Amino acid sequence: MTTQEVDAPAPVRTNRQTKTSRAESSELAEARIPTLLGLKQLMNGPIRTMLIKGLAGTGKTTVALEILKAAGKGNGAYISSRVPQELLETHIPAMKETLENQEFLDVRLEDATSALEFVMRLTDPKKVKTVVFDSWDALAKEFDSKERLRAEKTLIAVSNNSGAQLVFVSEEPGATTIDYLVDGILEMSTVEEQDRAVREFTIHKLRGTKIPQRKYLFTLMDGRFTFFEPYATPNYSEIRKFTPVADIDEAYSLGSPALDRLLGGMVPGSTLTVEYDEDVPYFALRAIELPPIINFLAMGRSAILLPLPGANTGLTSSVLTRAVGEGTPSDRLHILDVLRSSDLETTSMTKHATPNEIHEVVTNETTRLRKKSVDQAMLHVNSIAALENLFASDLDSLLEVTSQEIITLQQSRDAHILFLPANSPIRSRILSMSSSHARLSVRDGAVVMFGVKPYTGIYALQHLDDPILPSLTQLV
Amino acid sequence: MIRMSQVDDLFATAFNDSVHAGLDKVLGHSGTEAVLVHMKMADGFPDPMEFHVKLLALFGPAGTLSLEKAIVKHLTTGRSLEVLEIDGVLDFNATVSSVRRGANALPQAMP
Repeated sequence: MTTQEVDAPAPVRTNRQTKTSRAESSELAEARIPTLLGLKQLMNGPIRTMLIKGLAGTGKTTVALEILKAAGKGNGAYISSRVPQELLETHIPAMKETLENQEFLDVRLEDATSALEFVMRLTDPKKVKTVVFDSWDALAKEFDSKERLRAEKTLIAVSNNSGAQLVFVSEEPGATTIDYLVDGILEMSTVEEQDRAVREFTIHKLRGTKIPQRKYLFTLMDGRFTFFEPYATPNYSEIRKFTPVADIDEAYSLGSPALDRLLGGMVPGSTLTVEYDEDVPYFALRAIELPPIINFLAMGRSAILLPLPGANTGLTSSVLTRAVGEGTPSDRLHILDVLRSSDLETTSMTKHATPNEIHEVVTNETTRLRKKSVDQAMLHVNSIAALENLFASDLDSLLEVTSQEIITLQQSRDAHILFLPANSPIRSRILSMSSSHARLSVRDGAVVMFGVKPYTGIYALQHLDDPILPSLTQLV
Repeated sequence: MIRMSQVDDLFATAFNDSVHAGLDKVLGHSGTEAVLVHMKMADGFPDPMEFHVKLLALFGPAGTLSLEKAIVKHLTTGRSLEVLEIDGVLDFNATVSSVRRGANALPQAMP
């Protein structure tokens, strides 16, 4: 058994926090690393010509404008064969300044010869560093295949000689002649992830550059291109003192503004089930698991944790101690390690404890810890996987006990969080008893999270600043 | 009897045609038109030296060599002129002048 002490202030109830877009934008800004893959190489390295392709509405223009922005004020040109500048600025307001800072050439009513001459004019005296051709295929469709190839070779030869970077935007899905000529190809697409649409890009080619990963998730949140690298484990050595998050109206905070914005906190007596796929990294689950516990302790309340399988109780205690501050651990937290014989011994249980015996331990601990909670509120965080591992041969009893626990907690107005593997044999039963349901999965190495009940948009989970608190960026 | 001015005119026309044909073969029709408009040489006989310098600025040495080879090849094809060996390096101005001298010497060979 592990206990920790916490010096905690009295809980504070405030009005529901407003959904500040400032926090989200700040997180987003940190997530936006314009040095991605070939994008950095496009600015400085061997990638002189890039094709950005994909169906309409997949984010091609925004990506092209990000590249143009990176060229620097006055160093880029945007050749539009589709929309006038005013309309483009209306479509992508975040890029208005970029468009105003760069040369804009409207070639909608020009022929291909004029468009080619524009490029020569822009690049001949090394006037610009980056030229975006949006879209190239709108003009190229005027050519027969041989003439098109020659026009493309002309553009690339001119670009190569001047040192200017040429970015072609195309809505042609299949491989065309330009695919073979350019140095890099990015394909933007929209794909389904757990019944929600997410944006993804694929790197088909990046000459002279190592491609560490071919597919990445990205978002166009705030009209900006932000991609997500594979989930990175937080650096717990950078843990800072936790700032308690006040209750949200009648709901307990989840200890993280981002989680509160997604799920609206936890109504007393409710059960939040966090379902996760088997490939979700353990540390991503901890980003959901720890903030509510830390917040409960920091608010002077008590908590019981049945950790995920494989959890290092020592590390968990250490993280909690550093986050909550000196004076911890406290007797307001019980980390129950059901797989550890010492825990069973201290609770006078045999090594073959039944679900009911575990439930009894939890009930007794709840009674003890409730007295120590500043307002008698308790948080229960349980890993269904840990219990399944322990009671694999008696899942019916486990389900029965879990059901009892949920009912008991409803009456006591405690908060209850269950971590449920997506492949759990008792999944549907657990979910049917849950008040709210969040789901975590992995796509292109990035961890994504969304609410099933209540229904929410889908978000990428990262650790951008604080190693304890998750950062959630909406995938739009 | 063909006068020298007629020979010059004939060569100018032939050179102009070869520039268009040579560029067209490599750059395509749109590319050729764009290049000539950009060089402000869309109309009339381009001065070979000035043309060469502008090509270099636009396409660099390698691109220029390819284009000039295509032009010279067209210029000499079908004529009873001894085609100059082009082996990696081409002095475009000298080559065109040489072809022109050949044309002067053999005006009947001009189309």
